[in-house]
Amino acid sequence: MGSAIVILEVDGREVEVLASPLATLQAVLRTQLGRTGVKDGCRQGGCGSCTVLVDGEPMLSCLLPVRDVAGRRVTTIEGLGAEADLHPVQAAFLDHNGFQCGYCTPGMELVAAALLEHDPRPSREAIGEALSGNVCRCTGYLPIVEAIEAAVAQPAGREGGSPDA
Amino acid sequence: MTVTDYFQPRSLPEALDLLGTHGPELLVMAGGTVAMPLINEGISLPRQVLGLRHAGLDRLERVGDELRIGATATLSSLAAQDDVPLLREAARRTASWAVRNMGTVGGNLFTPPPGGDVATALLALDARVVLAGRRGERSVPLAGFFTGFLTTELGPDELVAEVVVPLGAARTAFRKFGRKAANTPAVVTVATVATLDGGVVREVRIALGAAGPHPFRAVAAEQAIVGRALDDAAITAAADAAVEACDPLTDAVASAWYRRRMVRLFVRRALEDLARPASGREA
Repeated sequence: MGSAIVILEVDGREVEVLASPLATLQAVLRTQLGRTGVKDGCRQGGCGSCTVLVDGEPMLSCLLPVRDVAGRRVTTIEGLGAEADLHPVQAAFLDHNGFQCGYCTPGMELVAAALLEHDPRPSREAIGEALSGNVCRCTGYLPIVEAIEAAVAQPAGREGGSPDA
Repeated sequence: MTVTDYFQPRSLPEALDLLGTHGPELLVMAGGTVAMPLINEGISLPRQVLGLRHAGLDRLERVGDELRIGATATLSSLAAQDDVPLLREAARRTASWAVRNMGTVGGNLFTPPPGGDVATALLALDARVVLAGRRGERSVPLAGFFTGFLTTELGPDELVAEVVVPLGAARTAFRKFGRKAANTPAVVTVATVATLDGGVVREVRIALGAAGPHPFRAVAAEQAIVGRALDDAAITAAADAAVEACDPLTDAVASAWYRRRMVRLFVRRALEDLARPASGREA
């Protein structure tokens, strides 16, 4: 049986794609929609570099048939912020050198952004648990955790909660 | 070989019809966290896949003194069940956030060791599994569901519809030992539930994960402490019996030799948790 049309929302826009039966969201985002910020790491759900948000929740696009997210809202790193208007997490990663090669960065930042939506003031332990599915082979994680802690401390347009002193 | 059909039934009867029509060759998948890695790697080469994500099996509700968990309820939804700490802890200690947002309770019953932490907790809670077929449903104790490595009681024309957990006032303890603090496969997982009466064990269940071909109850360890005070001698007897009962695998996480030793240690710690006042520590 052949391909079928799937309609979903990607980074705030409704898109229509033609997908083979078990095409992954990862493959569709990268090859049809130009979202190369969605990385192609292990395809095993083990590295987190393909993480996207589906209705705001982190999921692994390499394990997700695109047909399962028809009608859902998908956010990639390309839609988290704009170059001129970075998400606070993105700005914090820049300020704190939260990356070296950058391959894990999209997944890390999306998970961090989702974490702050759930828990505006996460403990260091909660940050570590949230990031546990995202593998970085360069930095040793400390600058990444520090970047997220800095994003927590920022007021940056986030409603409620006062900034740290 | 490529997948020619991805079926997405909208109800359990529709899913059972598809299973009946296309036969046991159909690969059944829910969250995809076990099946998709094998497909991506080319280890599993199904022609037809049945996806249960939209089959309406994701309810999670308390009915009377039972928790009824739909087969495709996510591990994240279980991790939010504050009134069943044993299940909450088992879910929270499973994999990573993104995997928990996808992986399902039903799928956890089919996850090969060292996976199956939630299945281990469900065993300790004496859960039942509702198996649905075109001719009706049957309910089997989870303790009788596993039959061997990657084999279960599930018939070729059946699907797991629901897991039913009796809720009670028993003490519970959960211990998972892995090599990292989070997102770690188990060296060993121990889930225990006990009712104590004046310090004496009236009823106890001890379930082990990553300690055999599938999660199992260490019945001899349970028998070693029923009717006894939960003191050091009783706990030692139970830990010895658990080691005797286990048959762990050697894999990249740990050797069988090491797992046996950790079974002894973590059964002991779980029982010590139970012996403490209040309601047993969750770890």
